[in-house]
Amino acid sequence: MHQESEIRDPLILGNKTYHDITREIALPVEGKANKYWWILFGLSVVLFLWGIGCMAYTIGTGIGVWGLNKTVNWAWDITNFVWWIGIGHAGTLISAVLLLFRQKWRMAINRSAEAMTIFGVVQAGLFPLIHMGRPWLAYWVFPIPNTYGSLWQNFNSPLLWDVFAISTYLTVSTVFWYIGLIPDFAMIRDRMSKTISPMKKQLYTLLAFGWSGRAKHWQRFEEVSLVLAGLATPLVFSVHSIVSMDFATSVIPGWHTTIFPPYFVLGALFSGFAMVETLLIIVRKVVHMEAYITIKHIEYMNIIILFTGSMVGTAYITELFMAWYSGVEFEQYAFLNRATGPYWWAYVSMMSCNVIIPQLYWIKKIRTSFIATFILSIFVNIGMWFERFVIIVTSLHRDFLPSAWSMFSPTFIDIGIFLGTIGFFFVLFLMYARTFPVVAQAELKTILKSSGSEYKKRSHE
Amino acid sequence: MKTTKKYWKGLAQLNDDPIVEKLAQNEFVEDLPVDQFLGDKENLSSTNSSRRDFLKFLGFSTAAATLAACETPVVKSIPYLVKPDEIIPGVANYYASTIYDGRDYASVLVKTREGRPIKIEGNKTSSNARVQASVLSLYDSSRLKYPLKNNDESDWRTIDSEIKDKLLRIKNGKIVLLSSTILSPTTNELVKSFSKKYRNVEHLMIDSNPYDGLLDANLESFGVRLAPTYSFDKAHVIVSFGADFLANWMANDYATDYINGRNPKSGKMSKHYQLETNLSLTGANADKRIQIKPSEQAYLLSNLLGALKGESFDKRLTKIVKDLKSSKTKSIVISNSNDKNTQLIVNAINHQLSNYGNTISITNPSKLKQGNTSNVDALISDMQNGNVEALITYNVNPSYTLANSKEFNNALKNVSLKISTSQHHDETAHLMDYVCPDSHNLESWGDANPKHGVYSLMQPTISPLFNTRQFQESLLSWMNKSDFQSFQKNYWISKGVDWNKSLHDGYFNLNEPSIKVKRFTDNSISVAKKNNESIELEIYETVALGDGRQANNPWLQELPDPITRACWDNYLTISSSTADKLGLSNWNVSNGAMNGSLVNITDGNNILENVPVMITPGQAQNTVGMAVGYGRTRAGKAGDNVGFNAYPFLNTKELTITKIEGEYEFASIQLHHTMMGRDIVKETSLAEYIKDPSAGNHRELYHTYKGKLPSNEVSLYEEHDLETGHFWNLSIDLTSCVGCGECVVACQSENNIPVVGKEEMRKSRDMHWLRIDRYFSSDMTKELSKEEKISAITMYSEMEVPSENPEVVFQPVMCMHCNHAPCENVCPVAATTHSNEGLNQMTYNRCIGTRYCANNCPYKVRRFNWFQYSENEKFDFHMNDDLGKMVLNPDVVVRSRGVIEKCSMCIQKIQEVKLTAKREGRPVKDYEAQTACSSSCSTNALVFGDSNNKESKVWNLRNDERAYDLLDHLNVRPSVFYQTKIRNKA
Repeated sequence: MHQESEIRDPLILGNKTYHDITREIALPVEGKANKYWWILFGLSVVLFLWGIGCMAYTIGTGIGVWGLNKTVNWAWDITNFVWWIGIGHAGTLISAVLLLFRQKWRMAINRSAEAMTIFGVVQAGLFPLIHMGRPWLAYWVFPIPNTYGSLWQNFNSPLLWDVFAISTYLTVSTVFWYIGLIPDFAMIRDRMSKTISPMKKQLYTLLAFGWSGRAKHWQRFEEVSLVLAGLATPLVFSVHSIVSMDFATSVIPGWHTTIFPPYFVLGALFSGFAMVETLLIIVRKVVHMEAYITIKHIEYMNIIILFTGSMVGTAYITELFMAWYSGVEFEQYAFLNRATGPYWWAYVSMMSCNVIIPQLYWIKKIRTSFIATFILSIFVNIGMWFERFVIIVTSLHRDFLPSAWSMFSPTFIDIGIFLGTIGFFFVLFLMYARTFPVVAQAELKTILKSSGSEYKKRSHE
Repeated sequence: MKTTKKYWKGLAQLNDDPIVEKLAQNEFVEDLPVDQFLGDKENLSSTNSSRRDFLKFLGFSTAAATLAACETPVVKSIPYLVKPDEIIPGVANYYASTIYDGRDYASVLVKTREGRPIKIEGNKTSSNARVQASVLSLYDSSRLKYPLKNNDESDWRTIDSEIKDKLLRIKNGKIVLLSSTILSPTTNELVKSFSKKYRNVEHLMIDSNPYDGLLDANLESFGVRLAPTYSFDKAHVIVSFGADFLANWMANDYATDYINGRNPKSGKMSKHYQLETNLSLTGANADKRIQIKPSEQAYLLSNLLGALKGESFDKRLTKIVKDLKSSKTKSIVISNSNDKNTQLIVNAINHQLSNYGNTISITNPSKLKQGNTSNVDALISDMQNGNVEALITYNVNPSYTLANSKEFNNALKNVSLKISTSQHHDETAHLMDYVCPDSHNLESWGDANPKHGVYSLMQPTISPLFNTRQFQESLLSWMNKSDFQSFQKNYWISKGVDWNKSLHDGYFNLNEPSIKVKRFTDNSISVAKKNNESIELEIYETVALGDGRQANNPWLQELPDPITRACWDNYLTISSSTADKLGLSNWNVSNGAMNGSLVNITDGNNILENVPVMITPGQAQNTVGMAVGYGRTRAGKAGDNVGFNAYPFLNTKELTITKIEGEYEFASIQLHHTMMGRDIVKETSLAEYIKDPSAGNHRELYHTYKGKLPSNEVSLYEEHDLETGHFWNLSIDLTSCVGCGECVVACQSENNIPVVGKEEMRKSRDMHWLRIDRYFSSDMTKELSKEEKISAITMYSEMEVPSENPEVVFQPVMCMHCNHAPCENVCPVAATTHSNEGLNQMTYNRCIGTRYCANNCPYKVRRFNWFQYSENEKFDFHMNDDLGKMVLNPDVVVRSRGVIEKCSMCIQKIQEVKLTAKREGRPVKDYEAQTACSSSCSTNALVFGDSNNKESKVWNLRNDERAYDLLDHLNVRPSVFYQTKIRNKA
């Protein structure tokens, strides 16, 4: 009697063979770009150049071209910084934490998620740099031995912790990403013709780092991946914890909150997954990865979004409770002002986009729809931007002494720089999509149920 | 001696051979071998230099030539060839002098560095913001740099000879000298001899804001047309009807005396009632403020007089009558009215209370206001009739300040010789035939007699910057004389004055017998109550600009008004309920900045369009206020077209207001007006204070496992060692601070604080290191909300609204120099650090401008250089001007773009004092080290010193029951602390 246990739905659709995978993943690199790619790329380049112009103007003229004032000394700059850093988080979580937990579904999305991480961190890193009054002295934040006497950094400053946290994060993520790419680069190298595109061949040869696919290589590859995953996992939690300490260690009501580290980490994962979804739904269409990035992936991610979104909502409510429970009038006013003051609309946007809207994912139909997911992921991205805006601006604009209370309104330079980083991000991402294998095909092939299912299929016939 | 020697090169030259001439014409005696060189193809092709090399050489030499042509910018610094004895580079010299510009008088000390006056300090007397700022007016690039004839450059010789000629030719017509009140006895002496030389000279004095009512009333009551002097320190009860005596009234700063009479520690505290229309600085300080319409003033005064005589009275006056009756001989009643009959009632009240000879002295009168507006009306008709042949103006700008300036300007056309001695090519000067520019006070000799028996001397602290000549010299030269300095010196020596000592001290007193006045005659007429439903106007002067003389001084333009906190503007002040009635409002736009409605106003004769409306709590119902001093058209780049000119409305009583479309953008730096129920300014009443000196000053306690503890006992921080060496502390007494803003300008001048202009001020980017917060009380309080069970949301939103007649508090806030400073922790590059003397120090060179410190400052006192404020055309104020930059203090660095700056507690002054003490081998004495704010404070509200010196005043204040730290619960341990505000409330 033939007993067959129920098996999970396949993660790769469409009865692909190993060769199909190789060919389809290598296609965007080898082939020509389609119309969508060019449209998106053109748009991104325009935004990017516009952002560069705005940054140059800021550096040339002074931070005064932004909408800041003596009370609100940070606004869009640090909002954008935290937002981009947060977006980066899902990549590391997917590639490191899910690797440790042996979640095979990550394989189709980890490459792009990691790329998003790195590109997001690059955008994030721009803001601390350009928000400085004298960015040409930015190297002073690094502990470089100097001849200025006993001048050294202030290791008490969370901003300095940021420098180390983010640079470590960027380094580890990049290395991890690159290690994972080696077998895939080798695959592309091997497919490249020496005569048709010698330059490309040379480039990919270099990138493939001498990969020959020997068993020893595979063994080392697995080991390094595991070690790096181990290293990267604490970073998922440390980076955003440290970013949150910029606020948590201050004295400003609304910033001075012990709940911030976990709250920020969850928020980061929340926004990171949303951004992964936004990107993958686009990538899936633009470079035809429908078979690899399936609704299954989207559903898994939606569940994570539902979970982290609810946690973030709990954090928001905890904050309100703590403000009331503390009995400190400044705290109480800070949160009352958040919800009912002149920036109530930002608070409402944050609450609805981050807490209420993701609750729709309880509904399976929405959870398993590409279109709904795409729309909802945009909402989450917006909501998480507003979360940072709310935390930064509404806390600062009315702090202790009412005589100093003020408000903030962005100038077109503020907006231009933000749009510019979005442009920059997409320029990097779109270029990545044409030059890198967007799916970790070598890994993916390990979960292709080819022999078993092929046999079954044939025996049915 | 003429030399006949001749040198020759050869015999041919000696013999005048023509070949010499021929050779001299020919530059190249021999043919140049060009052809030979270029023709030699063989050699040329065998050289090593290829065409490529040639291009390299060309490139290199072009680059080298270009580089050589570049020059490093030349910084003009010229060393002394022969060093003057009194100047040591780096060491300041102080000269005692006098500032009097026709409006503001002060005996001052002028700080000069390397021959440049850079700072003005009061010389044992009080000054005000305008006097502090006058040093910048010295370096005003819009001052006249040479004499003018028909508005074109001329020279003194031409001008003098023409003027003298024309003056001598005058037969029948009058020569009129129109001046401000003249305080200088020697100038009066000169005017007298000028009158002797030329016939028909008439000297008329006018004040831009006239005091005719008061002076004329005194003429009737006492037979002298002078203002009395008041001793506010001796008064137990002060009743002021609109007189803003703490700021502008009588051009005398009575704040010192007033605060001397309000010392809660001694239990002696005057009771101050203010009955006024506009919310003035004085009204803001009053114990009890009653809103009245201007038309009610005479009636209420008359009613008060009746009440003192035992008649029935208006119930608003109940307490005043009771207090006045019980403090005869120890009270002062004053009024700002320019109506003689009203002032006669005031005189009668003071007489009734026997205040004359006790708190008010008419026998030792003030000389500060002597102008007579009726003279001007006579002058205008004289000019119209052609009776005036020559007009000389001195220290006045009638085409701007006269209510009937249009008539004046028209009549001026009939005068054949018109001479102005203005420092600026101002509204009047440009209508004149000749402008003989006066020198600035700091470039002139002079003297002043502000009140009976009191004299002060003026000496130049720098030679005239331009080709200007002080007025007195001009007068002398028109009398064919010169040398005012010797004239003045001889004059005083002949009076028995010790010239050198007096010049050194800057002032002297003469034992003059009191002036004789006639017995008091009561000419007061009682005034009945009348109801007036129309909107009434009261004109006022702002604390910053006064009468607008220094309108081109950017420090003053940028000094926020103590009440409205707006700068670079004047506006119509109006109460919120009257505004509601007229459909007018103020609102905040998205970046927080304030906008307001626009109106057209008219009084029948004059129309002003597009007047912005500022809603001001405390303004009486159905009244509006309007400040003069703005709307200058020929003041200079900073002062032109700022606000509107309110002088045409000087005598207006009632206004018609019509709302028009459009909105106005204000530059107000305080957008929130109430304390929101927070313990920021701790306040109590005198009665409570006497019962318990720590009344109103209870620390917030933390619940801990050890019980309830104050914040400083639950700290995790390591303590700084503050016991060794100095511990610089600043005490700010909120009872003594009247909010005049003098310290703000003093700080700006000492610390090279940039002026940023209206647009930046509007964006809440003020750069002042020291600000004076002003809070209004609100009808909504926490207690009320608890009683009436009002929700927190409603409570807070209602708390934002100030009362219709609020109590007002002022609070100077600068860097608190926290000893657990939140800013120091967060700077990534340690640009802000703690000194071992209790100061928070900012290292500009190290700052990279993350602004984290500014965010984490609970007091929001850190200022960021959003732009390059010096040498930037976008900020075309004194720092973008070689002349204006001369006012900069060389001890303080001018900050560049992108760095944070803030109060340094005048570290440069502390350092100087420490070095002096070290050199002299002694400890620093108490009061020796002073900050700019503490030394400028007229009321001693700010006391600076070393708290480790147990003898020091500041140590005593630190341990006073009234002392408290602002935002004490944060445990940031500020080095600056406050003393509770005490009001003499019933």
